[in-house]
Amino acid sequence: MMAAKPLLGKVLRPCSIALFETHISSKLFPISSVCVQQIREKSRSPKYVVRPTTRRPWHVRKWTTKQDASLTSENETFVQDVIKDQYLSPSPLKEGPWERNDFQNGTRRTGALALKLGVIKQWTNSGKSFYVTLLQILDNHVINYVPPAQYSAYPSHKPHHAERFGLQIVGALSCDPRQFSKAYNNLFVKAGVPPKRWLTRFLITPDAAVEPGTALSVNHFRVGDFVDVQSRSKDWGFQGVIKRWGMKGMPASHGVTKSHRKMGGTGGGGDKDGIWRGKRMPGVMGNRLSTQFGLKIWRINTKYNILYVTGPAVAGVPHTFCRVKDTVLPKKCLREDRSENVPMPTWFPEDLGDDPQPEEIFDKDLFQFTEPSLVEETES
Amino acid sequence: MATLLSNASQFAPAAVRLGTTCCAFSTTSKLLEVRLLSRMRIVDNSAIGRAAAEIGKPPRVIHVYNKKQVGHLGDKVLVTVKGEMRRAYIVGLKQKQRPNVPRTDTNNIVLVDDNGNPLGNRVLVPIPSALRANKKGDLTKVLSLATKFV
Amino acid sequence: MATSLGLNALRLSLSVLRPSSCAVVPCQLTVAHKSHNATHVINYRRTRAEMAKAIRRKQNFLHFELVDKHRHSPLQTGTENISQETEVTAPRNYRYVMPEFMPRPDWERRDRVLEKLERRDMMRRRAIMNIPEFYVGSIMAVTVADAYAPSKKNRFVGICIDRGEYGLKAYFVLRNVVDGLGVEVMYEMYNPKVLSIEVLKLEKRLDDQLYYLRDALPEYSTFSFDMEPVQLPKGADVPLNTTKVKLKPTKEWECRWEAHDLQGVQPFEVNEKRMRRKEKSAEPWKKHDLMLDYRSRVPEEEEEQVMAEVFREKQVIDSQRKSMRTVLKKRK
Repeated sequence: MMAAKPLLGKVLRPCSIALFETHISSKLFPISSVCVQQIREKSRSPKYVVRPTTRRPWHVRKWTTKQDASLTSENETFVQDVIKDQYLSPSPLKEGPWERNDFQNGTRRTGALALKLGVIKQWTNSGKSFYVTLLQILDNHVINYVPPAQYSAYPSHKPHHAERFGLQIVGALSCDPRQFSKAYNNLFVKAGVPPKRWLTRFLITPDAAVEPGTALSVNHFRVGDFVDVQSRSKDWGFQGVIKRWGMKGMPASHGVTKSHRKMGGTGGGGDKDGIWRGKRMPGVMGNRLSTQFGLKIWRINTKYNILYVTGPAVAGVPHTFCRVKDTVLPKKCLREDRSENVPMPTWFPEDLGDDPQPEEIFDKDLFQFTEPSLVEETES
Repeated sequence: MATLLSNASQFAPAAVRLGTTCCAFSTTSKLLEVRLLSRMRIVDNSAIGRAAAEIGKPPRVIHVYNKKQVGHLGDKVLVTVKGEMRRAYIVGLKQKQRPNVPRTDTNNIVLVDDNGNPLGNRVLVPIPSALRANKKGDLTKVLSLATKFV
Repeated sequence: MATSLGLNALRLSLSVLRPSSCAVVPCQLTVAHKSHNATHVINYRRTRAEMAKAIRRKQNFLHFELVDKHRHSPLQTGTENISQETEVTAPRNYRYVMPEFMPRPDWERRDRVLEKLERRDMMRRRAIMNIPEFYVGSIMAVTVADAYAPSKKNRFVGICIDRGEYGLKAYFVLRNVVDGLGVEVMYEMYNPKVLSIEVLKLEKRLDDQLYYLRDALPEYSTFSFDMEPVQLPKGADVPLNTTKVKLKPTKEWECRWEAHDLQGVQPFEVNEKRMRRKEKSAEPWKKHDLMLDYRSRVPEEEEEQVMAEVFREKQVIDSQRKSMRTVLKKRK
């Protein structure tokens, strides 16, 4: 039990959970700079939930309030052509392409930003049915790379990261620059890509750094590998204690007075004078980051850039964006001895060589619908 | 498992929940589970079974040999028949089943003694073929009596 | 009958009002956030909070129209798009022939790429194993792979009492009375263990679901396993079987059938208490609820596009099958 420590003249770092940081690290190392009192977590994630309205000092204003509605249709088409020419013409790389290192144990590659499409049913070759979630890696580009030395000066840098990791900023879904502010558009100048609707960052080791401007496709991942998918769960709004925490409530009749869906008791017994911190109460439910670990990739569609991962459990509604990266689970993560030819730092179209890429790649255990029905042959 | 849950609303006829519940938690539609005191139907030609059917008192489950106390196809149960306790295997369920597994209109059981030997020597109704895949109990003696598999 | 005719006329006039595919701003009358299921009452009026939420830009999810806009945007390279032009048009009622290909009406869960890929999987399966046209009330024979049977196969014959779900989850339920025991089996149409589906007698019934056969006299559910297939004249309409089934005495029913609007059942009498209860829980306005009906389907243009594509691919599969049969015949 941690006693309350007095904060004497220390420079307090702000609550250091950035918007898209993985919160497993905060679970393993709960030494957050502000958290000093005991929190009864009851095996749930910490209650410091970053709400979308929370602003960070380093965030730039994204959307612009100015609307230029006075353009004629000809001018509008002209502007659109200018935008296309600016971003679609291939720009020569200023420096040479970055070096491609081999995969080693401990290497962390970038992830990608995917769009959760929905869930369909698939079957294994033994006839067992299961659900897979479709994740589309649409219009992803690497926006920036922050080397470890620079990242260690960031406010969001955690002490236990030291200088092991750099940051890879990845963006998805190109948009018209006119709807964004100048400051936001300037973030994409280095990469030379159109401004993106969504941005996120991934912690990577320097040997897996990708040059800004590189497109990420679904071939960054391979069939049979495992990924962690992080997304925001469905926003249920302000909910009562029964829906939010699964409490049982009280009977509808038999003398119960005005207390059918209430919490009931709140006390901590003789141990606590008042209510324990972390007591489950009504409040805002959902719209918090949720990570699914170790989801297997069963199938890849290279034409539409789609991953088929195990289960219906990717958080959020359809068309939510998800962060997809190689898993951290020790038995399923990429390792030198069991994973060969890991695309490092990412997959490039030059890696294809002469063979045309198959549109669909299947796991060996997945039933392909072009195969005949699963029936054993009779012993004649 | 996922299939059962997803098809739940489609399976029951589109019936309105006509009753009112006297508890604040949600109630599900009829699950037709085999639990304590469920009434079963004996489908072998044992003497006790026939006698119970003539009287009109169906055997009732008093224990399910299972962690969850809910009986599934192929589970062993303890039933009371005509005042006596007998062991039995479930060979047909009214409960909604997974795909390719048949659901029967009655909850059927076959009586066995303590060693697992069936008390009758014939099973009078068809038995789900899925029981042949059963890894839980020793159903081979019961299955050898069956004439028809569905 | 008169009301349903009137309803149809109104439906035709309302077809103009179906949501067009380029609307991005959500309209006033839309389905609530919760998922659609059979007993859920759709709340058409959005609360102010829901409207605000839909319009706010800080959401971490996108409206499906906006997603398609991004996919077709000229700035997007690297991912291909689904082409939606088809010259072929499907027959008017093709959606009843293969209803599992229809898109889900829940607009929040719709995605064109997902639907296209799922349909492709379904068509591939249909190319290997023929799934004939059938309706609730048709008598069918299904063979599944059974590892523990001596012939490794298991055949079941029965009347289809229910069919449903969209996509690869599509299922149907067969019922038969075998040796005096009523047996029902649910089959998933695209399960790779299903080896063949034959329709022995193609017909329709007066109801969409025939669960009342459980409470009917056994002769109405009894079909011989050795039944010969009944051939229909080519191009004929699907016959409607207007038999009225006799139910068992009221006390033995498992469901309050008086509360359902059953057409295929002989008239029965139920005591006054149950009649009062039925009237209390009856929802007579539902059959006049045009918005409910409207929201249970996708826009007509999309439906036609999907069905045209499905029809075209089915014709390809059928012609391939025909040519295979002629090749085999020639070899013999």
